[in-house]
Amino acid sequence: MSRNVKDRLLQASTYISSALSVIVLAAIIIYLVVNGVSSLSMHLLTGDYYASTANSGVKSDYVYNEPTASYDGEGYYSSKWGIAVEDIVTAHNDEELSVTYVDPNSPFAHMESLVAGQDGQDSALGVGDLIQNVYYEDASGETVFLSKVRMGDAENLIMTLDNEAVAIVSCNFEGLGGGIRGSIIATLYLIVISLVISLPIGIASAIYLHEYANKSKINKLIRQGIDTLTGVPSIIYGLMGVAVLFPVTQLVGATSTSILLGGLTLAIILLPTIISSTEEALIVVPQSLRDGSLSLGATKSQTIFKVVLPCAINGILTGVLLGIGRVIGESAALVYTTSTVISDNPGILTQGTSLSLMIWSIMSGEQPNYQLASAISLIILVIVFVINFIVKIIGKRLARSFM
Amino acid sequence: METCFSVKNLNLYYGDKQALKNINMEIMKNQVTAFIGPSGCGKSTFIRCLNRMNDLIEGCRVEGEVIKDDLDIYSPKQDIVDLRTRVGMVFQKPNPFPMSIYDNIAYGPRCQGLKDRKQLDEIVVRSLKQAALYEEVEGHLDGSAMGLSGGQQQRLCIARCIAMSPEVILMDEPTSALDPISTSKIEDLVLELKKNYTIVIVTHNMQQAARISDVTAFFLLGEVIECDKTDVIFSHPNDVRTENYVTGRFG
Amino acid sequence: MLIDKKRDKRNKSIDKFFHGFFMAMAMLSASFIVIIVLFVFAKGISPFLPGYEYGQVNLFDFLTGTTYRQDQGIYGVGFIIINTLVCSFFALLISFPISVLTALFIGKVAPKKLGAAMQSIVELLASVPSVVYGVFASGVITVGVRQIASAMGIATFGGSSMLAVIILLAIMIFPTLTSMSVTAIKAVDKDLEQASLALGATKTQTNFKIVLTAAKSGIFAGAILGLGRAFGEATAVAMVAGNKLFGPTFNPFDITRTLTSTMLVGLKETTGLDYDIRFSVGLVLIAVIFISNWILNMVKKRVGRNA
Repeated sequence: MSRNVKDRLLQASTYISSALSVIVLAAIIIYLVVNGVSSLSMHLLTGDYYASTANSGVKSDYVYNEPTASYDGEGYYSSKWGIAVEDIVTAHNDEELSVTYVDPNSPFAHMESLVAGQDGQDSALGVGDLIQNVYYEDASGETVFLSKVRMGDAENLIMTLDNEAVAIVSCNFEGLGGGIRGSIIATLYLIVISLVISLPIGIASAIYLHEYANKSKINKLIRQGIDTLTGVPSIIYGLMGVAVLFPVTQLVGATSTSILLGGLTLAIILLPTIISSTEEALIVVPQSLRDGSLSLGATKSQTIFKVVLPCAINGILTGVLLGIGRVIGESAALVYTTSTVISDNPGILTQGTSLSLMIWSIMSGEQPNYQLASAISLIILVIVFVINFIVKIIGKRLARSFM
Repeated sequence: METCFSVKNLNLYYGDKQALKNINMEIMKNQVTAFIGPSGCGKSTFIRCLNRMNDLIEGCRVEGEVIKDDLDIYSPKQDIVDLRTRVGMVFQKPNPFPMSIYDNIAYGPRCQGLKDRKQLDEIVVRSLKQAALYEEVEGHLDGSAMGLSGGQQQRLCIARCIAMSPEVILMDEPTSALDPISTSKIEDLVLELKKNYTIVIVTHNMQQAARISDVTAFFLLGEVIECDKTDVIFSHPNDVRTENYVTGRFG
Repeated sequence: MLIDKKRDKRNKSIDKFFHGFFMAMAMLSASFIVIIVLFVFAKGISPFLPGYEYGQVNLFDFLTGTTYRQDQGIYGVGFIIINTLVCSFFALLISFPISVLTALFIGKVAPKKLGAAMQSIVELLASVPSVVYGVFASGVITVGVRQIASAMGIATFGGSSMLAVIILLAIMIFPTLTSMSVTAIKAVDKDLEQASLALGATKTQTNFKIVLTAAKSGIFAGAILGLGRAFGEATAVAMVAGNKLFGPTFNPFDITRTLTSTMLVGLKETTGLDYDIRFSVGLVLIAVIFISNWILNMVKKRVGRNA
């Protein structure tokens, strides 16, 4: 083969290899968008994961009134009962009847709870709720039970109610569920807890390593220890978390694995990141500034706090951002430390899942939920990519700042 | 005339390498003492011995005595921070902190715990005036020090040093990074400051040493070849090596 | 003079305090690695000691066993170790050439802007969290594997398979390998290249013969790091491994089980043998990473000496 042809082939191989990684990244993004984008909604961000169930009856003082206005939106509308319903498929792959409109005069808007313990409280049907069954009175005065099977689809339900019911008695309905509000809150908790602990320790360690440590054996050992942390798989951190840090959380009242335990574990995972990005920033601070400060009679710690750290602030910010990215993406360490039970109202001392762990939870069950997992993945990816972008900009500024 | 520093048998090593060899010298108060010599001769290393800035360099070891006010500054009794408040330093390249002009000058006093705004104001203005910078920066003391020109930055560093009211100001080639106009301004300033301070200056510029110093020491390969009144050094030096250097035969 | 003796003294004690504080924090940071190893060791070794409360397990059987059944209380990780090694090794085998060629593209071949764009893409791939790769793997890679298998007339367990794990790991270690290789390639002395060019070699010949040889040590270090990642990768792998109960697995279309997937799958109770044995598996994982790193570093030293 001539040299020319061989060169071209070799060069082409580098192009092809590079193209492969572009294809993989594109495939990931396309897959997530195709599967996840339809699930993205305000409800996803603010809603509960678990569908709430309600059993509500029409209030005894309700007097029937014609609906106030006509409705011409989505779904089938009952002009008699002032309610519109459409067929949907939920994030859990169930076929459901979803309410799209409830008129203020509708009996469904004047309901109270029949559930023991909550009876008498207002519990009206709302937009987005999923109707499970309905009790109504027919022309003969008898109460008829309209089960889920008998309701059929939205069109059938509205027709039945319009033609046969003379009064609505009660109905069972569920909230939509499938929301990630609880996991968002848990993720925020994890970010705050892990950074609050990791930042001071990490920054102080970086300062020691760069500003104080001479080349003694003990300092070499310290550096080696910190470097080795980088290579430890996160699942091992998880084991360490339950074995070492769980007793610590017990001191403040935790009875099981908890968000606090997850946050503490993450704090240790973040240490190498915080230390290295702080140290990189300290390296860039010119020695002449330290000399200047010391020659003015400032002590070493005054020099560090007043001159060196303010100059290194960008590097610390980079560490914080990378840390946030790592917390959002972490899953294996949290399986052991926060549990995989999704919680709608997580607290610091309760179990719960971060966004990533929620994906693991819904994917590792009997029925993996690809739509919801893709939607959450998409949200995580956007955040992580934005962080990546900002870090890059800061990095460029840092490189220029002391030229 | 009083002695400010009395250096006796000073040797300095970087690891195994000896950088200063058996230096003996008296530095007098309220005079300008200049160190000259080719690059790498140890003059900068020596000036950094006088406020112990060499302590920051790893592997650096000092033998001998530097006596100031009856105390060897290398004795364990000497407090380094205390020494540096009395012996200020101006560096080769201007090194203002990335903060406002005001904060730069107030930095030293603040580190000593001075918080009173009135006193600080007074120190800042006085220092700037003494460093002949006040008129140029009046009215924008809150502006960043990084926005000043090189010459202004160097005078700011001098003002920052004066703000501590030191006894001695060490200047390590303070004009080497500056243009001729800024250089002459700093030279004028040095002559002015000599009334109140003892000044030790390292310079690579023989004319500068001749213009501003009272005493000149010639360094070569880590040794002091000759130390005498400036006009003696430049007109009829004792040592032939000094003569060769000041007449420009090597450098 | 501005020295206030009392202030001065306080300043000095503050200074001393911070020196101690910084040092203590650095020691704390460094001590975590010791804490991790000690505690995982202590807990992981406990099932093999006499007097273990849920019934002592035989260490030899554990290490050499070819069956892992939580439901029957049979715990053998011998085949799992082999599975982990095989999967990681093949992942490295696939990823290594692609990564090195991509790194060469970024560092030497591509025009400046294209190279920078490519570098950003590698960085983006590096920032994709493990669990997102897992979703992608179970939604796309398994489907691909299933189709390949059915085209060959082989039935799979919904695509979860050793092959899926290998492809997933190859993708996941690609950014690490590539960025380490780019660093090594960019660090190659320009004089070497010019010497080669001056001898009449083409740019491409120089890249492949001189640059890659000179960057060998750095590229190898990337491979070691990548292999460590592959061993420790957990959630994504667990999503597509399938968790076979016995083994080892050598058929790429058969399901498999790695050390990490074993630690993750079926975690319910937080006490008992089934829970404690996960620490033992973790300990094995640490040992596998440590030993492979040690061996590879020895190899690296030899390779480096020959260069």
